[in-house]
Amino acid sequence: MMQKFAPSLLVVALGVALAGCQDSGPQDEKVTINKNPYPSTYQALKSTSTLITNATVLTGTGERLEEADVLLIDGKVQQVGKDLTVQVDNTIDAQGKWVTPGLIDVHSHLGAYPNPSVESHQDGNEMTSPNTAEVWVEHSVWPQDPGFNRAREGGITSLQILPGSANLFGGRGVTLKNVPAHTMQSMKFPDAPYGLKMACGENPKRVYGRKGILPSTRMGNMAGYRTAWIDAAEYKREWDKYDSDYAAGKNPEVPHRDIKFDTLRGVLEGEVMIHNHCYKAEEMAMMIDLSKEFGYHAGTFHHGIEAYKIADMLADNGSCAALWPDWWGFKMEAYDMVQENVAIVDAVKNSCAVVHSDSDTTIQRLNQEAGKVMFRANDNGFNISEEHAIKWITSNAAKSLGIADKTGSLEAGKQGDVVIWNQNPFSVYAKAEQVFVDGAKVYDRHDDAYQAQSDFMLGQK
Amino acid sequence: MTKITHSFALSLVAAGLLASTGVNAESVAIINATVHTSTEQGILQGASIIMDEGKIIAINPTKVEADTIIDAKGQIVTAGFIGSMNQLGLVEVGAVAGSRDAGDDKAGIDFDPSLAFNPRSSLIPYARKGGITRDVITPHGGDSIFAGLASVVDLSGEFDSVKQTHAALVVNLGEQRKGSRAMSLKNLIDKFEAHQQKASKKDKKDDAKPSTEDKVLTKVLAGEMPLLVSASRASDILELLKVKQQFKLNLVISGAQDAVVVKAQLAEANVPVIISAMDNLPGSFDSLHANLNNAGELEKAGVKVIFAIAGDGSHNVYQLRFDAGNAVSYGMSQQGALHAITANVADVFGINAGRVAVGKAADLVMWNNDPFELSSHVTKMFINGEEVTTESRQDKLRDRYMAESEMPRAYTK
Repeated sequence: MMQKFAPSLLVVALGVALAGCQDSGPQDEKVTINKNPYPSTYQALKSTSTLITNATVLTGTGERLEEADVLLIDGKVQQVGKDLTVQVDNTIDAQGKWVTPGLIDVHSHLGAYPNPSVESHQDGNEMTSPNTAEVWVEHSVWPQDPGFNRAREGGITSLQILPGSANLFGGRGVTLKNVPAHTMQSMKFPDAPYGLKMACGENPKRVYGRKGILPSTRMGNMAGYRTAWIDAAEYKREWDKYDSDYAAGKNPEVPHRDIKFDTLRGVLEGEVMIHNHCYKAEEMAMMIDLSKEFGYHAGTFHHGIEAYKIADMLADNGSCAALWPDWWGFKMEAYDMVQENVAIVDAVKNSCAVVHSDSDTTIQRLNQEAGKVMFRANDNGFNISEEHAIKWITSNAAKSLGIADKTGSLEAGKQGDVVIWNQNPFSVYAKAEQVFVDGAKVYDRHDDAYQAQSDFMLGQK
Repeated sequence: MTKITHSFALSLVAAGLLASTGVNAESVAIINATVHTSTEQGILQGASIIMDEGKIIAINPTKVEADTIIDAKGQIVTAGFIGSMNQLGLVEVGAVAGSRDAGDDKAGIDFDPSLAFNPRSSLIPYARKGGITRDVITPHGGDSIFAGLASVVDLSGEFDSVKQTHAALVVNLGEQRKGSRAMSLKNLIDKFEAHQQKASKKDKKDDAKPSTEDKVLTKVLAGEMPLLVSASRASDILELLKVKQQFKLNLVISGAQDAVVVKAQLAEANVPVIISAMDNLPGSFDSLHANLNNAGELEKAGVKVIFAIAGDGSHNVYQLRFDAGNAVSYGMSQQGALHAITANVADVFGINAGRVAVGKAADLVMWNNDPFELSSHVTKMFINGEEVTTESRQDKLRDRYMAESEMPRAYTK
């Protein structure tokens, strides 16, 4: 899947697209769609070899190691274990401190709905059509959003930026490395798959119902998705036929290019992952059937206030559920919140429970958000440990984003995305002291040299 | 969680005879408690508290006598926390217009949404999970800068929950959606000047019965009713301090993201601020100094600080204790943070609660651990001396979907 993003395959002249109209005869130049026209230019910050010693380490794989060491070399996790003896440039005594993988938020609007949240900055919701699969939220991201810095100070090392939920298809999301930068491309997580934001329920039907167009009802929502997937399947068929005819030596007519359907085709081909804003049990159940009707994976359900009602169904489908600990009541579909939602989803075999923020404030305390779930669940009959709960904001989140092979756990070979906490991260008093991305220190609470400031904040009085 | 059976007879007495207080005919003592008093007494170890007739009647008496004695076994007891700046009981679901009663286009000085307060709202038992026993419900208002009147309610869930109306006049200043903030401030000053002139004329010829608006303005201008003004930018706050000086107002500033810039002036003018401890983003050009350290900085400067929940404070008021914990994490004293959700709220709005002290309303919360910690929870809770439950609709839903049953979930109740 990843090879399809490799730049070498991509640069083929699109300019000739209109030239080849013959189905036989000498072949025109092959038209190939560039799937990565805004490629990542991310470079890890300069790093040295680092040994973090004597910490309580939550690996993100469900393990907890006491008095353990974490070794970062060449931007990667080299080793995690006890009494590592190795020559490094930088040794950090983390006695009494806790170490976790860098936190991952699968649902953020930083950069697209940045601070200050003035009119000119409302770039997260293209509310002009119920299907705007053609928009890519990366084209809205303002890297100077001060929220990126605040999130990093809370231990967030990777995050997915999503478009808003006004539309049935809101557009592509983008996964970023949370490093200070002044272009979006230089934050873009290399080789992370794209996401497609879909939305169920109240938002699309409210926004378009007001305009007097479909959808104005939940049945309208479903009709809108199905119509789009039928069109997407046809689009995919045309391009597949073009490719196979060309491969057979014919000179087929180049199909019309539509970037909206490029994205939907990407989903049908398993390259683009679905991230579905969907609150209610019966709607999530239908979205799973919808995905089966058209042959794609339903992906991650976001917000899923009622995920606890269908925990088994989500696990059976291999769907992650990215949830809040306690947001509720702001609309009808958020009325049936339970504080143990994440824990109930998590308790099923093969589940993938994720705690997300969808907020520029709680993204700064995703550890506390997970802690709230853990403690409320343990108050009510669960027995969830810290080493388990950390998965909701690290490895499970990485799985939801399709980057679990790269980050989200402290295992040899994974990217050196690490947080050193002053104490148990599930305490209200916990603070990230040092944050590493790809082995490089990007934040230090006690060293101003590692505290990034946005252009916007510079020189403000 | 505690399960409580209310005596039907008792409820009748409470509703019929003593509608303004809510009373438990039985006296209750809590013994062996670690009491965080929210007073100069600080923390009392191994303390006993006796409540009767809805009030705290004794602390550490030489002899403990009560109808019921509860051994806290060292657990922490605090005064019940007091929320503010939210619409508890005035909203059930944010996006359901028919369930929203805190605002009205025509709202003004005399808008009193407490008439619409619903003690049966599902938000109230949920809020109790956070140890919230009382709340200052605050109108959204409408087109006018005058949003209306705040009220104090208890979280007993009983029909006599509204304890104090006209607790503050709420005004929205600072950043405007359209027009100039200067005009808003001018409108405020004009209103006060006009009322003063009217009042001085009336002294000579006392004719018509004063309107609610006149009564409210008279109280505000006498410093008897707090003027609760939202403003954030430092320059706006300084202008408000001038207005306070001119009219001798009992001024309280909410929002106050940049209050830290003028903390000395606020302390000097003795003006309390209601802030979110979690505000640390420059949401606008009015809040460039929002910072997690601000609560502690304001405390050190001598400013009286109250915490309210940013955003949807109605559904989320239960989190107030976590905000307090975070404020401690960023430099506020533990006691200062506790006062910011108890005694300071009581002082600013004239509520006879918020402290574990003799004569105060018996709003007491027992905790299994540090109440600011994520890990702790309420083990017992009293409002006006009556034990209340923290069980909410959310617990029912959880239990329904976790129960084993051959039948559809709808049969599990």
